[in-house]
Amino acid sequence: MTTLSRTVGAPVNRVEGKAKVTGEARYAAEFPLTRLAYGWVVQATIARGRVLSVEEEAGMRMPGVLAVITHGNAPRLQVVDDGELLVLQDEQVHYRGQTVALVVASTLEQARAAADALRVSYAAEPHDVLLSADHPRLYAPDHVNPNYPTDTLTGDVEAGMARAEVTVDETYSTPAEHNNPMEPHSSTAQWDGDRLTVYDSNQGATRVHQQLAQVFGLDRSTVRVLSEHVGGGFGSKGSARPQTVLAAMAARMLDRPVRVTLSRQQQFSMVGYRTPTIQRVRLGADRSGRLAALDHEVFEQTSTLYEFAEQTALFSRVMYATPNLRTRHRLVALDVPTPRWMRAPGEAPGSFALESAMDELAEACAVDPIELRVRNDAAVEPEGGRPFSSRNLVACLSEGASRFGWADRDPRPATRRDGRWLIGTGVAASTYPARSAPSTASVSAEANGAFVVRVTAADIGTGARTALTQVAADELGVPLERVDVRIGDSDYGPAMIAGGSMGMASWSWAVVKACRQLRADIDEHGGVPDGGLVARADTADDIAAQANLARHGFGAQFAEVRVDVDTGEIRVPRLLGVFAVGRIINAKTARSQLIGGMTWGLSMALFEESVMDAEFGDYLNHDLAGYHVAANADVQGIDVSWLDEHDDQLNPLGVKGIGEIGIVGTAAAIANAVYHATGHRQRHLPIRPDRVLSP
Amino acid sequence: MIPAEFNYEVADSVDHALSLLAGYGPEAKLLAGGHSLIPMMKLRFARPSALVDIGRIAALSYVEQDDGHIRIGAGTRHHDVHHSPLIEAGCPLLSFTAGLIGDPQVRHKGTIGGSVAHGDPASDLPTVLLALDAEFVLTGSGGATRVVPASDFFKGFFETAIGPEEILTEIRVPKLGASSGWSYLKFSRRAQDWAIVGVAAIVERSNGGIGSARVALTNMGATPLRASSVEQALAGAERDAIPAAAAMAPEGTSPTSDTNAGANYRRHLADVLVGRAVEEALGGP
Ligand SMILES: Cc1cc2nc3c(=O)[nH]c(=O)nc-3n(C[C@H](O)[C@H](O)[C@H](O)COP(=O)(O)OP(=O)(O)OC[C@H]3O[C@@H](n4cnc5c(N)ncnc54)[C@H](O)[C@@H]3O)c2cc1C
Repeated sequence: MTTLSRTVGAPVNRVEGKAKVTGEARYAAEFPLTRLAYGWVVQATIARGRVLSVEEEAGMRMPGVLAVITHGNAPRLQVVDDGELLVLQDEQVHYRGQTVALVVASTLEQARAAADALRVSYAAEPHDVLLSADHPRLYAPDHVNPNYPTDTLTGDVEAGMARAEVTVDETYSTPAEHNNPMEPHSSTAQWDGDRLTVYDSNQGATRVHQQLAQVFGLDRSTVRVLSEHVGGGFGSKGSARPQTVLAAMAARMLDRPVRVTLSRQQQFSMVGYRTPTIQRVRLGADRSGRLAALDHEVFEQTSTLYEFAEQTALFSRVMYATPNLRTRHRLVALDVPTPRWMRAPGEAPGSFALESAMDELAEACAVDPIELRVRNDAAVEPEGGRPFSSRNLVACLSEGASRFGWADRDPRPATRRDGRWLIGTGVAASTYPARSAPSTASVSAEANGAFVVRVTAADIGTGARTALTQVAADELGVPLERVDVRIGDSDYGPAMIAGGSMGMASWSWAVVKACRQLRADIDEHGGVPDGGLVARADTADDIAAQANLARHGFGAQFAEVRVDVDTGEIRVPRLLGVFAVGRIINAKTARSQLIGGMTWGLSMALFEESVMDAEFGDYLNHDLAGYHVAANADVQGIDVSWLDEHDDQLNPLGVKGIGEIGIVGTAAAIANAVYHATGHRQRHLPIRPDRVLSP
Repeated sequence: MIPAEFNYEVADSVDHALSLLAGYGPEAKLLAGGHSLIPMMKLRFARPSALVDIGRIAALSYVEQDDGHIRIGAGTRHHDVHHSPLIEAGCPLLSFTAGLIGDPQVRHKGTIGGSVAHGDPASDLPTVLLALDAEFVLTGSGGATRVVPASDFFKGFFETAIGPEEILTEIRVPKLGASSGWSYLKFSRRAQDWAIVGVAAIVERSNGGIGSARVALTNMGATPLRASSVEQALAGAERDAIPAAAAMAPEGTSPTSDTNAGANYRRHLADVLVGRAVEEALGGP
């Protein structure tokens, strides 16, 4: 069969763009339902202990209140491994902000007023909310997210370090950071007998529908989750969050639809965040910079409700060739909310540590930082030795160097000055896994000449719907207008979530397969019969049959910074990212994804920091006034480009995924540039002005 | 982000507002642009029993001048202060600073009177008005007025000289003369954010040197502060005295530590920014 490639690669506008700007596109909290009631979450005001009592009766007397649900009257749920979903099952408080009651009322305002007035008394116990590298309860988890080994060892790191002519041994840290998607987490649940329908803001309706079926002990076929439009998630909507279970629980108890939407403040405790990390990196090398040993040890936190172990050192298992390589993760379960995925979990903080350390090594060896990375480029995956399906890190570095104007760079720090501004440039490398997960899709040929694709994909603002429309149109050999891609409905069959940068790789595979099947069926029928035709595809077997290769995207990040010599103010006039991420389906939305990732990397470098108040056991800054996210005027020039990379060992289109790699390495590139400008190393994020002045 | 319950009244004149205030008692609050009060109510840091909306009293929004002063109605929006030709001509420091407040939306709603009455030490206009030796006209019951100089006005954190049954009706600002140079420097971590530290400086130039200087600080204590030691050190001084004078900026301040910056960094910033602001106000050598 010939594939007519007409739209894949083109900068096609979002197909739902008009619906979004006119307000026609409906988000989870926007579906009008008759007799809809509203739930408001009452959150624990202690970080650890027990709920002694909730004054339910007084709450019930408040205007409009329909129910006050607590552990005393909540229906029992089936036990699942994600303890955050087992809401209101007992009196234990595991973190400040955990749900202790849900007040349901006829209006949102009534629910909130009653929730505010509800009196809850507690027996508080001393809490422990601070991560440290010598915490007595550190332990090695069984695996790290999602299923990587906790520790790895190749060779003998101590021997390698002992032999090394040059060594770096430093500790880096990153703070807790919160995802903050624009659209709040919201779920609206409606029961019809034993059938449950939920309008939900998530990154994958399949997973949420599976989790709801489990928690409520239902057959999956009776649960439907709809999430047609989603306003961002960045990992915090990758699986069901407490509000989804609460809405379904309340709707069942009241026998009417119930909506639970979280406020911005509530999102700072209930839906996940990036764990703080403390990372010790040891590098040993010969004088030319060739690595003799790399040791990356990570300390991070989880909650007492659910173990989430960020795969922070994974980055070091992929990047550089060395005979002696060790990575370790140690976790402590604190009285804090559960950390979760946040854009590039693992790689984002891990790259900050290793790519900063590589810059320190470059200086110690007096080797250009790009040259150092080229010298240590890996022919096979450093941990495990699998061949790469493709690895174009060196090409990204050299393309970036010429675009950025790296060639004449004077490596000496603190020597360029423009008035009160010190100027510096920095580089860092970037990588992210390119995985695919089993998905299903169907495509139907309608009698009127249209084609309808159904896949439980999620478009969380990425442009996924548009890209899938391009994929299907090309496979079917028809213009875009004849293809209608429907997503975000668990009834369409199981599919991967929009997460791990695996969405497009996974969904496009199923869509391509279904389209090819449909074309064959049409040929066989000699055309589309009156009743239309439907083809279905499932990629589970194809993925299981894949060769055992190391599949990753790579990139190079460049930054120019200006640092005010007296105030420590940092400006970033230029960022450049060059990526080798397989085939780009939509040049416009892909560019936005990469720019968005790099913007977040800048924000991570300079601003984002959730500050733990140890006394109360809560994050102090829990709104967008106190938690700084870069504003437009903080972002200056961002330039993005990609190599024309063809990798036929990935999936039919050769897609690697671009949602996360943009944030990986950005903070290190900026930190390295700040060093080059000032001569002071920045090993702790964010790089606040006061830290620049007093290193 | 929903405030607690409150009553709401629209006043159509200052008298009307005063009688409404008297009727509701001490738990009532005036509402002007709402851009400080409403956020506090949404966070439930403030729970007034009633709001008396003076934001629609047209007579409170004006910019006029007499010989030595510019008179600004308390209800004048930041945007109008920023764009007023009279203020631009007579007191460019004030119009410039109004343009640095928040974002356009904030500037179209917030008022100069609200900013002054709120008494937030992180606000920009109070500092500038303190440096300018402005006067505040307060109107009480029966239309009685009293005039409070800026130096007596800011009493503490969110605390001013305005009495419970008084309204700030006018701000009077002495005009700057031809020999006056000025500067306002606002340092924030994220664009459009509040000042971590701000500095207002007014320099009377004399023969290329400094005749006298007025310097005030934003967010270096519970109220906007005059940097008196700096002012004394600069009186009659030459340009090269600026660094040593600026180093006195932290004297008499009591900055807090918060998630944006520590107190030591604030003191350091005060020093740096005072030096820069005085240089800028003095103008090129
Ligand atoms: C996003 C955002 C960013 C901001 N950034 C800045 C900034 O960078 N710099 C800055 O300085 N400000 C900033 N502000 C605050 C803004 O300037 C406010 O508008 C101002 O501080 C208060 O003015 P208002 O008219 O809105 O007063 P309101 O909020 O209506 O009232 C504030 C207080 O003053 C009292 N009050 C108001 N008018 C009078 C009067 N005539 N007599 C007596 N009492 C009165 C009220 O009762 C209330 O207690 C920001 C605000 C927001 C929302």
